[in-house]
Amino acid sequence: MSEFLNMGGYAAYVWPSYGLTLGVIILNIVWARRLLAKSREDARRRLAMRGEET
Amino acid sequence: MNTSVLEASSTGTSALEAARLMLARDIRLALRKRGQLVQPLAFFAIVTTLFPLGISPELSRLRDVAPGVLWVAALLSSLLALEFLFRDDAQDGTLEQHVLSGQSLTWLLFAKTVAHWLLTGLPLAVMAPLAALSLGVPAAALSGIVVSVAIGSVALSLIGSIGAALTLGVKRSGALLSLLTLPLSMPVLIFGARATDLAIKGAGFAPPLYLLGALAVLGITLAPLAAAAAVRISLE
Amino acid sequence: MAWTWFHRLGSPPYIYGLAARLTPWFAWLSAALLIGGLYGGLVLAPPDYQQGDDFRIMYVHVPTAWMSLMVYTTMAVAAAVGLIWRIKISHAVAASCAPIGASFTFVALVTGSLWGYRMWGTYWEWDPRLTSELILLFLYLGYMGLRSAMDDMQRADRASAVLAVVGVVNVPIIHYSVLWWNSLHQGPSVMQLAKPTMPPSMLIPLLVMLLGFTTLFAALLLVRLRAEILNRERTASWIREAVTQ
Repeated sequence: MSEFLNMGGYAAYVWPSYGLTLGVIILNIVWARRLLAKSREDARRRLAMRGEET
Repeated sequence: MNTSVLEASSTGTSALEAARLMLARDIRLALRKRGQLVQPLAFFAIVTTLFPLGISPELSRLRDVAPGVLWVAALLSSLLALEFLFRDDAQDGTLEQHVLSGQSLTWLLFAKTVAHWLLTGLPLAVMAPLAALSLGVPAAALSGIVVSVAIGSVALSLIGSIGAALTLGVKRSGALLSLLTLPLSMPVLIFGARATDLAIKGAGFAPPLYLLGALAVLGITLAPLAAAAAVRISLE
Repeated sequence: MAWTWFHRLGSPPYIYGLAARLTPWFAWLSAALLIGGLYGGLVLAPPDYQQGDDFRIMYVHVPTAWMSLMVYTTMAVAAAVGLIWRIKISHAVAASCAPIGASFTFVALVTGSLWGYRMWGTYWEWDPRLTSELILLFLYLGYMGLRSAMDDMQRADRASAVLAVVGVVNVPIIHYSVLWWNSLHQGPSVMQLAKPTMPPSMLIPLLVMLLGFTTLFAALLLVRLRAEILNRERTASWIREAVTQ
């Protein structure tokens, strides 16, 4: 297991690479979902305001 | 001054004739404000002075970096000069008239860009050897430098016209214009600096010069189309 | 029959619903592929005889580099379609691509420089592939910058579309001029990214990762696209039902 973590001595390069990639993937997912949630919320609010006007 | 181009459309003038009128008009107008034409050249001179101050007064060291310095300075000052391409016409509504005139906008913008090159790029090509001398470049290389900057600046003006057209009316567009234009100008920098480097070493610099020419030709054929599309979008 | 389907593609509510239904499929598929690919690349593939375990960075660098280019092309094609045929949805697709592509490009740059450290001894070298990736990042930033500079959505769509098309035409020019520039100087050896013959145990995880990233992009794109559609179709009647579910 420690051999796996050590990556043949290249641990300092391999694991940060994978870590960054995973981090950016998660960032993308969270960001996209937040944008959608916000858009839905904005749309609901707009509809509610229009509903009040009628 | 503006009406001659507009009249051209009503009398059924060809696109080429309208382009020629536009070229003459732009040059005539620009020559009235000669002070403005000098500014990009002064900027070029100042930038090329910055590098010796930042690096070393030794000509031998400067000669090594001269190609890069000259071309980076040329790129930056042509970027600065882009402001003059559309600004005045956009501000007083003349550009809109050109779009509505029924003349081929592509040809009109090509003419404007040619005028711009004659007023900014060509003078840069004349100034470049002076800056080169100050960087320790041997006199034998100077003609090569003039030619390469002359051709390269054609490409730069054309590439720049696209960015200028896209950012019409955008406030404080300087940084954005640079961000758009500089990546597209990098091939010009690569080939131009290489041609200059070979000229300094006394070697044949035809291959990169041809590549520069190819970029210029590509720009001539495609850039006015993109710029015309961009102007229409910006003025809608 | 085929035309009906094509016309429906231009209809925002249809696309919104389609995107909502497709997203989970792409999401779970990409998760499975990425996890499988990671296992294959980190555990199953044997160490390289030359690079040892360092080559495993390839399993994240190559897919993200590939994605950075693929996403830009997708963005440019969508932008061109929107510009030429005036299909608004296409512009929404292009807008959704940019942040995803830019982040992949960033990862490609960092993983590329980490991978190169073994060979170069430094964290950065003006390797032609990395230099091209860097310029691609600038192109993405320029696209996003132009978009954000314009308040009018239609102008932003169309201006950035022109820029994307100009950019995609320039990508090969930039790539070859950088390659040429790099070859002139006795620079660092070009990063060995594509090994001439890769044994299947090494190649298959790479292909799985490539597919995984592509499906991930599809999922992310569909989510962002839905957000774009909602923002653009501000008071359309179909939205009420869509957002109150």
